[in-house]
Amino acid sequence: MKEVVCKKEDLSPGNIMSANVGPIPIVLCRTPDGEFYAYTNKCIHQGAPMSEGVLCGASAPTDTPGEYRYEKEGEILRCPWHGMEFDIKNEGRMLVDSNRKLGNFNVSFDGNDVVVSTKK
Amino acid sequence: MAASKQQKRPIIDMDIHERATYNDLLPYLDNPWKRYITDSNWVQEKHLPYPIPGAAGLDRADAKVPDGRPAGNDLSFMQQQLLDDVGHEAGILTGAGDPSPSSMNGWYEMAVALATAYNDWVIENWLEKDDRLYGSVHVAAQNPESAVREIERVGSHPKMVQVLLPIDNRPWGDPYYHPIFEAAERYNLVIGMHHQEPPNYFGNFPRYFVEWHSVMPNTHMIQISSMIFNGVFEKYPNLKLAMIEAGFTYIPAFIRKMDQQYKELRHEVPWVKRMPSDIVKDHVRVTTQPVDELTRDEFLKFIDLMGSDEIVCFSTDYPHWDYDSPFRALPPLGEELEKKIFAENARKLYPKLPERKATQ
Repeated sequence: MKEVVCKKEDLSPGNIMSANVGPIPIVLCRTPDGEFYAYTNKCIHQGAPMSEGVLCGASAPTDTPGEYRYEKEGEILRCPWHGMEFDIKNEGRMLVDSNRKLGNFNVSFDGNDVVVSTKK
Repeated sequence: MAASKQQKRPIIDMDIHERATYNDLLPYLDNPWKRYITDSNWVQEKHLPYPIPGAAGLDRADAKVPDGRPAGNDLSFMQQQLLDDVGHEAGILTGAGDPSPSSMNGWYEMAVALATAYNDWVIENWLEKDDRLYGSVHVAAQNPESAVREIERVGSHPKMVQVLLPIDNRPWGDPYYHPIFEAAERYNLVIGMHHQEPPNYFGNFPRYFVEWHSVMPNTHMIQISSMIFNGVFEKYPNLKLAMIEAGFTYIPAFIRKMDQQYKELRHEVPWVKRMPSDIVKDHVRVTTQPVDELTRDEFLKFIDLMGSDEIVCFSTDYPHWDYDSPFRALPPLGEELEKKIFAENARKLYPKLPERKATQ
């Protein structure tokens, strides 16, 4: 399944939007470097609409209690309900458990069109 | 969206937070209380030291009212996003926004005024505007005499189903508070307990919010044991206790621990006549939310270890960040158990809820 979901300029870097590929609701994310990523618009935990969440960064794991190093700005999608963190540049894997991830889609371009397709 | 998602079985949601702002309450306050708020910008003590528990603070990021008001402040949006979408049969409002009046550490007269204003506000603007919504009487429990007066004033309202006490640093089983339980029993009201923003961690805040949220069951255990070992349920045999928002998985271990201690230390509390686990089965109910992710087998083991499938009741905690979805929070449990958890256990608990319809 394949669908043009928007024009590149419809989504500025650092933002997210909801769209559909056929009947499937997706969340389209654009990282600050301009790259596009698409995931199922449903949290794998309790089904919250991910497009209502926030695209943000995350505190990096550390060996030092009390140390905060904020990284991956604009690359972490946080669920609007329970706040679970998914790394959109790493196949949508959950930060605390990389075995769990959001369903993901291929993104390609046809001129200025953003084309999202289901993975084969 | 609603039609495709409607919950197939009746659902009674034991924890819905409507939000009362001070602006909402002003018309229901007399002076000097109103003037203290308007002239001095008085706000209740509230010092949550943590930045952002969820993606958008303490609320679901998608629950903010579209006109910009905070989540839970608008009935029609709540109807749209929760009651209609899920297909609630009934929901119990637990009040929110600011700490409970019963959490105030001083100036109890203001607490009394706030509780009274809240009760009038919630009756007029929520309970009498949606058939599905039921309410909680807020009181200033620091002053039991005033609390009893408030229960007598609004407790007979057909849609007020419980008296809500906050869980912080007061163990409510203390005989000092028993007049509140006497009045609740007299008015067919359950005692609900729910943690509030003031500390529930031995009177202090833990360093991190994740600690607080992880130990919520401890604070619920403190209250349940306080109520049981102070003889509340011997004294008020028809009283029921709803412990809201600590999940249920702590119950199997806790009832065993209390039973063991009772066997060994009964001499200290000779007014307690039954095993604590039996008292829990007869008098205490707990909500699913915030639920732990469990498989069906794990969930059923917890129920089995409780020795009763009538203790656990469903709640969403809408619109808070740790909302539990009626569609996704629980594993499939089979029709009979699901009926009990989603509705019938709560219906048995609250005598003022509507009877089960014949078609259900």
